[in-house]
Amino acid sequence: MTQEQNQQYKTLSGIPVKKQYTPEDIEGLQYERDLGSPGEPPYTRGPYRNMYRDRLWRIFELSGTGTPEDLRERLLYLLKHGETGIIMEVDQFTSYHLFDPDHPDVLARKDDVGLTGPTLVSLKDYETVFEGIPQDKIYAHPGGGCIQFSPFAHACYWSLAEKRGIPLDKLRGTGQSDYFLSYLGCPLEDQIPPGPGLRLNCDLIEFCTEHLPHWVPVSIAGYNAGETGLNAYQEMAAVMANATAYIDEMLRRGRFGIDDFAHGIGGVNYASGRDFFEDICKMRAARRMWYRLLTERYGAKDPHSFIHRIHGLTTGSWMTYQQPLNNIIRGALYALSGALGGVQSIGVSSYDEGRCTPSEAAQLVAVRTQQILQHESGITSVADPLAGSYYVEWLTNELERRAWDYLETIEKQGGFIQALDSGWLHREAMRGMLEREKGVKSGEIKVVGVNCLQLDEEPHEVAPFRANPRTWEIAMEKLERLRKERDSVAVEEALAELRDVCQSEKNVMPAMMKAVRAYATIGEVGDVFREVFTIWKTPLPL
Amino acid sequence: MTLHDKPIRVLIAKTSLDGHWRGVAIVSVALRDAGMEVVYGGQLTADEIAAAAIQEGVHVVGLNIGGHYGTVEKIMQTLHSSGLGDVLVVAGGNIPPEDIPALKQLGIAEVFPPGSETDAIVRFIRDKLGRKL
Repeated sequence: MTQEQNQQYKTLSGIPVKKQYTPEDIEGLQYERDLGSPGEPPYTRGPYRNMYRDRLWRIFELSGTGTPEDLRERLLYLLKHGETGIIMEVDQFTSYHLFDPDHPDVLARKDDVGLTGPTLVSLKDYETVFEGIPQDKIYAHPGGGCIQFSPFAHACYWSLAEKRGIPLDKLRGTGQSDYFLSYLGCPLEDQIPPGPGLRLNCDLIEFCTEHLPHWVPVSIAGYNAGETGLNAYQEMAAVMANATAYIDEMLRRGRFGIDDFAHGIGGVNYASGRDFFEDICKMRAARRMWYRLLTERYGAKDPHSFIHRIHGLTTGSWMTYQQPLNNIIRGALYALSGALGGVQSIGVSSYDEGRCTPSEAAQLVAVRTQQILQHESGITSVADPLAGSYYVEWLTNELERRAWDYLETIEKQGGFIQALDSGWLHREAMRGMLEREKGVKSGEIKVVGVNCLQLDEEPHEVAPFRANPRTWEIAMEKLERLRKERDSVAVEEALAELRDVCQSEKNVMPAMMKAVRAYATIGEVGDVFREVFTIWKTPLPL
Repeated sequence: MTLHDKPIRVLIAKTSLDGHWRGVAIVSVALRDAGMEVVYGGQLTADEIAAAAIQEGVHVVGLNIGGHYGTVEKIMQTLHSSGLGDVLVVAGGNIPPEDIPALKQLGIAEVFPPGSETDAIVRFIRDKLGRKL
């Protein structure tokens, strides 16, 4: 057999590809029906008419470690160097887990606190972070990455704005509140179950529908599904399935119609990764699929409901530990893929990703990567420049087709929540992880520096970033001071009210804002959640 | 493997509250495929690791770690004071190369950062335990 006959060519998600594509491969493609112009149904070519001519994609980097002061410093650094939106990471040990710094599970690991993100324990910490940062002038993701922390994060950010005289309806930003983060890819110990998570997210959606027209309350992070083992079309389907869970619940509640709230769910994120063309086509296919889902299944009529906006996050998992400067190239290629796919914002993973939480230097390179693409490459002059390519249109179609199939598979499990709760999605993710590992092990999936072109000695010095080693100590000092200074009666009352609201069907956000304004801590809110919603054991297939 | 050779038993634990599980999943499966019995303990404290290691009668403790090493130091101290000083301890995770010598000083026999071949982990464990399987 010749080498060509021997070797199977396929995309990263396993779709076999031919050596070339011709008009035959897209026979039957109809421009108006299948592509449309940018800003027109079915939005394959992009959500906006003039795309990057009117609005460059937002430079939107996840950042933060250590103390609230450390986070502030990093945010100011990135803003100074040109990022156009802030994404606050938060500490996993305290904030994400809804544990105060003196919780036993945190105490047992206090040296690690602040490593993965800043400790944000009360409204006071948000006040520290945003000192001198005008909330009405920035686009912000205030740390609501995981569902159970998101109401608190939003309550803090919004309460702070109100305190400063900024009306909520002027605020622009996004939540995330993502299932794929803490229920699938990075499970939290003792977190509230998926069902109560749905309640909280829909409360956020309703609250924003009423009070924050410029806020995206939840942003489904397909990226996290992709990084946990799902392939490109599975990632699309998982996002769509998650969206249907929100939409169905919102419609069940009956207070708002589809066109009232769907725009708040249509801003999502997807992974931009190593298969250059597959991920370009994924963005295009996802926009078309969203349009079809919202109009055909849900009868949405307002374009805001069925225009899919995408944050493209470059995949961290393909950034290598070995020869880290190579990751700069990876970041650039993955970002280019996202841009050619027509995304609205990009986060480039840092070159030191494999070794540590990102350093300032690495994050600067990430920002510059995007700026060079925006200002030097010329790609921003023309929308969806790859449209009409036989391969690109064929692959876009193929990804969409497979994504609909997989959506049906997910729905056969009893819907998105059930697919998650039962562990089915975790098993699917595991299968993907093992397939990828097998591919890397056999060399079928080449990773430069890892299974080919390895070096015994690292050619470049890359100093690892160290998060503030006093993070826990400082968090404890702040906590002790807070407990002394605040009105403990007001806190008790607010927590009691929060408990009542959680037990009812009322929207949790007003009570949450009252609690954070009284300087309730994340651990106190967490205790209420755990008591009322109970805790979930992640069905890991291990 | 003779009748008297029980399979190598391994406890795998995450030392931090960072829940990413791809690393532990890949390693657990690789060790099982190599005939070892793997107990995945989840996110455990130093005391919990020692208790699980004793209860499960493991030959090896595999730690998934990332970051500051005060927690790891505590774990190694607890293992030692619990009479588990002879248990083979290996580690993996996002550990910069600069930190590997310090971890070995704490008693970790080998560190397997991202990109390590799982075959190498299997070989290392067998060699250290003087086992063919």
